[in-house]
Amino acid sequence: MSFLPLNPGKDFIVNSEAITATLWSGTVPTLATYFTSSTQEASSAGNYYLNVYQTASSETISEVQFAIAYANKQGSGSALYNGAVGGNSYTRTLYGQYRTLVLGDENADFNFGGVTQSDFYVLSIDRTRYKEKLFPGTFNLQLSGSGRTLELTDDSKDIASVNFNDAGRVFQICSGSDGNAYSGNGYTDASGSYGLFLPDIGTIILNAAALDLSAANGGIGLATTRSFNGDTGTNNSRFFNHISGAASFSLNSEETISSNFAFIKVPNSEMNYSENPSFISSSTGEILYLDEGFNFNPRTYATTVGLYNPNNELLAVAKLSRPIPKDFTKELAIRIKLDF
Amino acid sequence: MGYLNNTIVTVDAILTKKGRELLAQGAGAFNITQFALSDDEIDYTLYNPSHPSGSAYYGEAIENMPLLEAFPDETQIMKYKLTTATRGTYILPFIASVAGNYSIVQANSQTITPTTSRGGSLGNVAETYSFTLSDVRLYSTVNIVGAPTGQPSTVNVAQEIAASLGTNVSRTYIGTGITTTATSTNVLFGSSTSINSLLIIQGNTSGARLQVPISITKSA
Repeated sequence: MSFLPLNPGKDFIVNSEAITATLWSGTVPTLATYFTSSTQEASSAGNYYLNVYQTASSETISEVQFAIAYANKQGSGSALYNGAVGGNSYTRTLYGQYRTLVLGDENADFNFGGVTQSDFYVLSIDRTRYKEKLFPGTFNLQLSGSGRTLELTDDSKDIASVNFNDAGRVFQICSGSDGNAYSGNGYTDASGSYGLFLPDIGTIILNAAALDLSAANGGIGLATTRSFNGDTGTNNSRFFNHISGAASFSLNSEETISSNFAFIKVPNSEMNYSENPSFISSSTGEILYLDEGFNFNPRTYATTVGLYNPNNELLAVAKLSRPIPKDFTKELAIRIKLDF
Repeated sequence: MGYLNNTIVTVDAILTKKGRELLAQGAGAFNITQFALSDDEIDYTLYNPSHPSGSAYYGEAIENMPLLEAFPDETQIMKYKLTTATRGTYILPFIASVAGNYSIVQANSQTITPTTSRGGSLGNVAETYSFTLSDVRLYSTVNIVGAPTGQPSTVNVAQEIAASLGTNVSRTYIGTGITTTATSTNVLFGSSTSINSLLIIQGNTSGARLQVPISITKSA
């Protein structure tokens, strides 16, 4: 007998585990260097967003970490698609895109901590970086400003219950660190919260009006351009400078890994012989080393575990890191991880 | 008093080609119900009963060898299974009554009925076999003698693989004998006049294994 049965109720288990990890390339906990690509900025995509890399974009190890975009309900802050046709511009398109994605209602407005605003900045994290979702409570972004460095976090550790919108969980962004506001709710007095943290879609929306406030009023004096049919990309570049100036952005990803485990148990009396051609003498056909103990206690060395279906077809295979001896005095217990 | 070693060996499994095929089919086709162990890569002549340091070191050369990673080709791994036999067994069964190789002309058939011998006067082991055709596309029909209850004795392979992958895939059939009819189509031959493949016969009770090359020859 060379096959042993597996009991579906006892020998298999599915285990799901939440794995958190730093977001950035090179597994650095805090992204401290920021680069953009002049090629990307000059391309048609540059009208909408600005990619941010951890190294110069010309280096082979450079990877997009996140993108910055500015969205405006009226379409201000960028050139029109067609100067002869009023209305539609890049920032208006982005506003509509995020309104649909986050609010799911074309008549709704973005509300930041009780204050409705008509424009915002978006940090869209690269999907490869955040894997499945962002990990609330680990968002720490510093923005340089005139006279102060603003420290932002989500309010996940200050709230009693999580709110949801069309983009899943939503947290307010406040002045604070590691998921806690420094004081009160951490919002600005005049412009509401600093934005929305949307972990399930890997997106951070930042309230432009709050960031435009002076340092004394809780902002960084960002001076967002809201001119109609103005320069495209100015706001993205300006906001990038405030991020790279502070040089401190930390955030973790969260991913649920589901693994199947199969538990292999071989009793002492099983699998002590082998069909390996070197296990027998080529001249007599007898098992080797009969006089040295293999007559009543043969020893085999398992190197591979095969998992089969009822039709004896090999579906999965696992190699051991070293040969494991097996004889009539030993039992084997092997845990097989099935990650597929 | 010392602590007992309660560590458990943990290893990661990979899918074989066959496993990927069945996983892609869905609908419960991927169904692991049993396992086997093999000692692929082990050379038992390295076992040294003359080791001067004593019996604890007889297997030193084997136990410390590094092992290769798993191959995803199900016909190239799990070659030599560990088997169970009565304590005191000194001759292991082997597959007999099978030629060293077979050559089948297109659209013709070949019947193979193996036996399992224990050698000399010890007689045969009565058992069923797993017949694995390494590239099932080379056959139009497969007839199985002694197929288990619930499994067909005749398989229209051409029809079975019509909706399958265009690449070579293996199929395993269980029975006491097998008759394969070579494909009548020319599409797999290209400019060649013959195609080679493997038939792997494995005794389901004894674990005895035999690998037989099969050549399909183009008739026109």
